[in-house]
Amino acid sequence: MTTEPQHQPGFNAALARGLTSQRMSRRNMIKLGGVSVGALSLSSILAACGGSSSSTSGAGGSSGSGAVDFDPANAGPTLNFSNWPLYIDKAFKGYPSLEAFKTASDITVTYNDEINDNASFFGELLPSLQGKQDTGRDIVVITNGEYLAALIQNEWAIELDPNYRPNFDANAASWAKSPFYDEGNKHTMAWQSGLTGIGYNTTLVNKVPTKLDDLMSTEYFPSGTVGVLKSDAPDLVMVNLGIDPKTSQQPEWDQAAEWLKKLRDSDTFYAAYDQGYVDDLTAGNLAGSMAWSGDVLYYKIWEGQPFEFIVPADGALLWIDNMLIPANAQNPAGALEMMDFYYKPEIAQMVTEWVLYMSPVPAVQDLIAAHAASETGTYAKQLTETAESPMLWPDQVLLDQVSLGRNLTTDAESEAWHATFDTIWEQ
Amino acid sequence: MAKTASDTAGLIPEGMELPPARQGERALARRRRLAAYLMLSPGGLYLVIGFLIPLVIIVILSLSSGGGLFSSGGKTTFTWEWSNYSQALTENWKIYLRSIAYAAIATTLCISLAYPMAYWIAFYGGRWKATLFMMILVPFFVSFVIRTVQWNFILGTNGLLFGPLKNLGVIPQDFHVLRTPVAVIAGITYNYMPFAALPLYVALERIDRRLVEAAKDLYATKQTSFRKVVLPLSVPGIFAAVILTFVPATGDYVNSTILGGPGTTMIGQIIQDYFLVRHLYPVAAAMSVILMLGMLVLALAYARALGTEDSTLAAGAAA
Repeated sequence: MTTEPQHQPGFNAALARGLTSQRMSRRNMIKLGGVSVGALSLSSILAACGGSSSSTSGAGGSSGSGAVDFDPANAGPTLNFSNWPLYIDKAFKGYPSLEAFKTASDITVTYNDEINDNASFFGELLPSLQGKQDTGRDIVVITNGEYLAALIQNEWAIELDPNYRPNFDANAASWAKSPFYDEGNKHTMAWQSGLTGIGYNTTLVNKVPTKLDDLMSTEYFPSGTVGVLKSDAPDLVMVNLGIDPKTSQQPEWDQAAEWLKKLRDSDTFYAAYDQGYVDDLTAGNLAGSMAWSGDVLYYKIWEGQPFEFIVPADGALLWIDNMLIPANAQNPAGALEMMDFYYKPEIAQMVTEWVLYMSPVPAVQDLIAAHAASETGTYAKQLTETAESPMLWPDQVLLDQVSLGRNLTTDAESEAWHATFDTIWEQ
Repeated sequence: MAKTASDTAGLIPEGMELPPARQGERALARRRRLAAYLMLSPGGLYLVIGFLIPLVIIVILSLSSGGGLFSSGGKTTFTWEWSNYSQALTENWKIYLRSIAYAAIATTLCISLAYPMAYWIAFYGGRWKATLFMMILVPFFVSFVIRTVQWNFILGTNGLLFGPLKNLGVIPQDFHVLRTPVAVIAGITYNYMPFAALPLYVALERIDRRLVEAAKDLYATKQTSFRKVVLPLSVPGIFAAVILTFVPATGDYVNSTILGGPGTTMIGQIIQDYFLVRHLYPVAAAMSVILMLGMLVLALAYARALGTEDSTLAAGAAA
């Protein structure tokens, strides 16, 4: 690959990053249903400059099942890609990796960083999917969990042709291949992944925490300084209670709920978050919180904040954000081509150096280390830290400590789960 | 009362033979009636599309069953499912009461803060009236959400307000207001105050100064003339202010989402959660209908109690 605009000589990537990424964490956008805060974020404004979402004309509509032509030769000229905010590499203008894709494939990608949380984005797609219509998106990124399960079960995700993803076959990490929620990657391919563990502010804790139970002890955290991530807490707690979330049922859920109620009523507890915990962490309102690895690492490595991210002694939660093609998408062939393109190590590297989450392409680690060696100063140091962080490049020991969480796949399960856990915070 | 030309015109029975000189009158009457419909229709149509149809959909949804994502792809069927209402109430009656309580406290605060301000501007603002009133509104050119987020910084544990106080040792280190009911109510009060100030100002500004002067001529003290003249005449303004503040504040979820914590959940948040996260669409719809009817009943009862014709209309309109 020759197209790496970000690494041109004399081009200060660190500076570009600072100027273009008014960084909000990928998930810390305030979730407010109808109220679109996203409209005010710099990222959206930048994205808006890239053009509005227009309909694509391509290889013709395709339904969830049935024969879909994935031959790249028949791909349409445009592609709509919906992703989370600040979840892709960005230069002063545009997205270098997407430009590389344009050069390689001649497909123009309209990039929309419009997904602020799985639930409301799913709600946005739902009417089109129910009406068997094109959602206006060719690729969307959804976290593993009940919304992804619902998309697959209702045949709202187009089945992928395994013959057209050579880079994926060659380069994907073991954890990205055939995950239990989508065996054989029939519908999805990982975009990025990350861990939910404990993030804390080293200057505010009383003592360095090592396990999840420490969150409710004033020996470790001052009173009123601990945050909880509502959506990830149940699985994370189960892992730390020695329960395998994957096979857990109501009795185990009740155990986890008990633990969470204990934390809620403990002296250290501050608040439970959908998103936005990072804002409270950086504002000093929180000394520690259940946290997403990439968020904390960003503030630690790139902003020099006194933050640390740890995997609690008894394990962490692993989540995978997956690319998939919604039913009736206009350009499935182009979509699969792009999905596979991001499994080229040099392309995946561009993304990882920006987003600091776990790349599904392990080869990227060496590329970033090599890049660090070719740079100097703070930027080199930041790249080295990125290349060496165990949270980005999990070894087998770490992978054995993490779980992908409970996959809810029926209405009864979903209802019982939410009745058990949501009510803890809805008091 | 003398009948106007159009009244008489409207009374001419259809089909009656009229002398040629008066035939234009009927056409004029028709045109006038048509004009009324023409003027009502754009707004009316807008309300039908934007309010009436969604309302009907919500009511139908609230009496439906199904909606499971996995079994039916989120589709519901209308089955007169009244149990949605009992489920909504039994699971969340506490939250309804809390929302009403928060909104009531915030409304009281809004009125007590806005009344003196509006009073002063209306009576003593002089030629600066408009400017002064604009100043109340200026912060509200900024988005609702952004303003609320700013309160995070003001009320933060080590934020603008409490950081310095903590450093001075005035308040204990673990003191915090954010994530407590105080923060939520403070946020609601702040965000809805202009809605209280506006009608209060209009009502106070409208008061005939000669009535106040007359009270003074009759040896009323300042307090008495306020109590007997100004206050009663500003009642329609107070009424409108209460309705305009209380009704939206009860359903507000922005303040409790951004500033609230454990135990400050308001009904708007629960409805959103039932819709988006738990995908119990029919129960969520039932909760919305309950909230709406509850507000309507409260507003009408309030209008009855306060009793001016003006305000009854206002209540009907607001609810």
